[in-house]
Amino acid sequence: MIKRELSNYVDILSAYTELRLQENRDTLIVMLNGQVMRNQRKAMSGVSARVYKNGVWGFASNRNMSDDDIKLAIHEAKKNAVFLDRHTNQDNEPLQITTNSGRNDFSTAKPRKTQRELIEFLKEIDGYIEKKYPKLNSRSVILTCLDMEKSLVTSDPSFAYSVTPRSILIVVMTVEKNGEPFELMKTFGGLGHFEDQFSDPSQLYEKIDNIYNHLMKKSEGVYADAGLKDVILDADLAGILAHEAIGHTTEADLALSGSVAGDYMNQKVASPLVTLVDFAHTALGEPCRTPVYIDDEGVLAKDVAIIENGVLKSYMHNKQSARHFGVEPTGNARAYSYSDEPLIRMRNTAILPGTDRLEDMIASIDDGYYLIKSSNGQADSTSEFMFGVTLGYEIKNGKLGRGIRDTTISGIAFDVLKSIDMISNDMVWEAGGMCGKKQPIPVSMGGPAIKCKINIGGK
Amino acid sequence: MESKRIAIECLNMMKESGVDKAQCLLKNTEKRELSVNLDKIDLLRSTFDASLQLTAIVGDRKGVVSINKMEMEDVKKGVEQVVEMAQSSEQDSANDISPRQPGKVFQSGPESPDLDLMYDRLDEFMGYAAEAFPKTTFRTVVLNHALTKTHLLNSNGVDFEEHLGEYSFMVLFSSKEGKRTSSFNYSGYTAHNLDKPIKDVGSIDTLLRQSVDQISAQALKQKFVGDVLVTPDCLESFLSTIEGTLRDYALISGGSLFKDKLNQPIADQKLTLHSRPTSKDMSGGYFVTNDGFEAQDNTIIDHGVLKTFLLSLYGANKTGMERAVNNGDAYVVEPGCTRFDDMIKSIDKGVMLCRFSGGSPSDNGDFSGVAKNSYYIENGKIQYPINEVMVSIFLISQKSASTSVFLSCRGCSSEV
Repeated sequence: MIKRELSNYVDILSAYTELRLQENRDTLIVMLNGQVMRNQRKAMSGVSARVYKNGVWGFASNRNMSDDDIKLAIHEAKKNAVFLDRHTNQDNEPLQITTNSGRNDFSTAKPRKTQRELIEFLKEIDGYIEKKYPKLNSRSVILTCLDMEKSLVTSDPSFAYSVTPRSILIVVMTVEKNGEPFELMKTFGGLGHFEDQFSDPSQLYEKIDNIYNHLMKKSEGVYADAGLKDVILDADLAGILAHEAIGHTTEADLALSGSVAGDYMNQKVASPLVTLVDFAHTALGEPCRTPVYIDDEGVLAKDVAIIENGVLKSYMHNKQSARHFGVEPTGNARAYSYSDEPLIRMRNTAILPGTDRLEDMIASIDDGYYLIKSSNGQADSTSEFMFGVTLGYEIKNGKLGRGIRDTTISGIAFDVLKSIDMISNDMVWEAGGMCGKKQPIPVSMGGPAIKCKINIGGK
Repeated sequence: MESKRIAIECLNMMKESGVDKAQCLLKNTEKRELSVNLDKIDLLRSTFDASLQLTAIVGDRKGVVSINKMEMEDVKKGVEQVVEMAQSSEQDSANDISPRQPGKVFQSGPESPDLDLMYDRLDEFMGYAAEAFPKTTFRTVVLNHALTKTHLLNSNGVDFEEHLGEYSFMVLFSSKEGKRTSSFNYSGYTAHNLDKPIKDVGSIDTLLRQSVDQISAQALKQKFVGDVLVTPDCLESFLSTIEGTLRDYALISGGSLFKDKLNQPIADQKLTLHSRPTSKDMSGGYFVTNDGFEAQDNTIIDHGVLKTFLLSLYGANKTGMERAVNNGDAYVVEPGCTRFDDMIKSIDKGVMLCRFSGGSPSDNGDFSGVAKNSYYIENGKIQYPINEVMVSIFLISQKSASTSVFLSCRGCSSEV
């Protein structure tokens, strides 16, 4: 636990300053074929200060959090700002003052499980898979939990205290067919401690059966026919498209450093069916998987409607980029650990649902693919993207056909968005991922299924 | 408390708590970092961090706890927690710690940074880039110095101390003219000094020049099977793909493509790959492995033949195969005898692959991705920069050696 109350330090914050105490607590258990390969816990905490002086920043952090250490961090951050100020001749326009206050604690109210109980839970799942599916070549059950506890005060002043736990359980199955291995993975869980996410292993069994059935079809599958195809991207892939290929280009720092979205403000960039939002903490009446109420600059986090009915409407901002564009900061400044400075990061990014039924979308394609799961994704400043696809099916004459082997899809995201002509009426969120941009950060992404044209790899 | 004394205290406390085997890995890291935002140096960070990783094995059951507080009360809690973690785990006779080895102190690189020189080198680079490449914008430019002091002690009597100091530079950029933007590209390096201007290190200047060319990249009109010339900047993508298949998880799960290929050819005989973490000629290395052994340099692929896996002590015990003498990394690909320009001349139709944005390879080794910052080659000449080009790669073709990326390697350039 870290200090919740930092108001005593406001008086010694002379220039614009953020003072943050933070602890990240990680748990990782990896069970491979019933044996515990990794069984570890980590807790890293400390204090950081960031000071703004004449357009430059000084940052300092220290793992110790006594009163003296906190004052030392502020002093070192000031010293660093003075060093840069001495060398540079930058602007001295002040940042917008934001005064907010909030406490958001998502800790469980239930008694915490011991490490032994967590391992037993995983063993039970592993035992179910081993017994029911003896033909598998290997199986892994992995639990990864991260609690982020933050306490922030700024010189404006703003105050924020938050505990944001995330618990993710991953099941991986591998089967060999004709000497070749085939693998499929699924993640479960999201916001909350383990006790709030998982109550009984048997609740996952139906979903595990589902993974196995898909894996069998994949192992009998075919190479995709490479080229530009009509496809349906299910929620997982629609989410990664929204985050990776569109979201990053509309982070204001990337727009300023040359991303293609820098030229598109208020222009048509997608089909009118598309509305894409980076939600702060609540989406369509439901709490988000990665809720941010007050960001690490003390700004009240707001939803950012990036694309509204096909038109690019907003970038995501921190205080500095908001000042540059003459808009309000949006609460997207987030830091991963106490020793990291806040960067413009996404939170919960998704295309909003439409009005179509998935069955009708499949029926509308003569020759194409239904793509369900992604492995990884990379995107570019041009919005050109590449995603690995680990689960998909052919669509022939409006019906699902054979499974396909692992493949890759690519394209120019803004062109793909323009090709969307159907969007399903449901919504699925995924919160197992970490976004990488100098630092990692938990994010969630989601969406409905979308029908579009996309380049698919294969043979 | 002094670092080594903390580590000794931790080992004693774990032994007193009934632990059979114990390891303590204590790292202190001091970092100073300059960053650029919108083409101006606007952030100086100084961070002081530590990590105390405790490993306990009780009756073949293992637990690991990491904390960053070193007061005796925190350390005691950490020890209590790791003992409980180990007791909670499952028995696995593969769990072990390294045997006694002669104690050693290793040192590499500068222990303290020259902050003014760091500023001057970064400022010089940004000034050069602004003048030479006005169409190029920078998304990330970071220059830092980090000093990491590590103590690794275990209950078998291992006692290693390692001081690693180094400068690191990282840059990510793209170029723009009107509404046309090139794909972003990146580069970086680690070094023991800042004697050279940044622009003169590695291929940074070449990549910046190419970035401007790539504003006018074109899509290829048709699908073809051709040669791929992988530049040194891109080679790392493929090495990390091989690396993943040689490590613990892939070999224990049985999913590694190369599980039965030790001392057998997995690549053309022109390919030789070393890992040299202790080389004096390289920065970015290390002297002690994660599982408590003094690291040694080795050759992973020798003229196409796989000579070692990258198994840890646990992985070796688990699979019954030999432990690797290092953790991997610090890779060196042996140069060949053909000049890079001559390699281009030898290609009738193909792609010079400068960056590969690829999917994770599937377990059977197939993967595809987009050729980034790359060029189309025809009739022995680079024709034009390309975009939206997908490349399919078969790490080991099930059907024929000629379609496997490593088995069909036709040569390595002579330049280093």
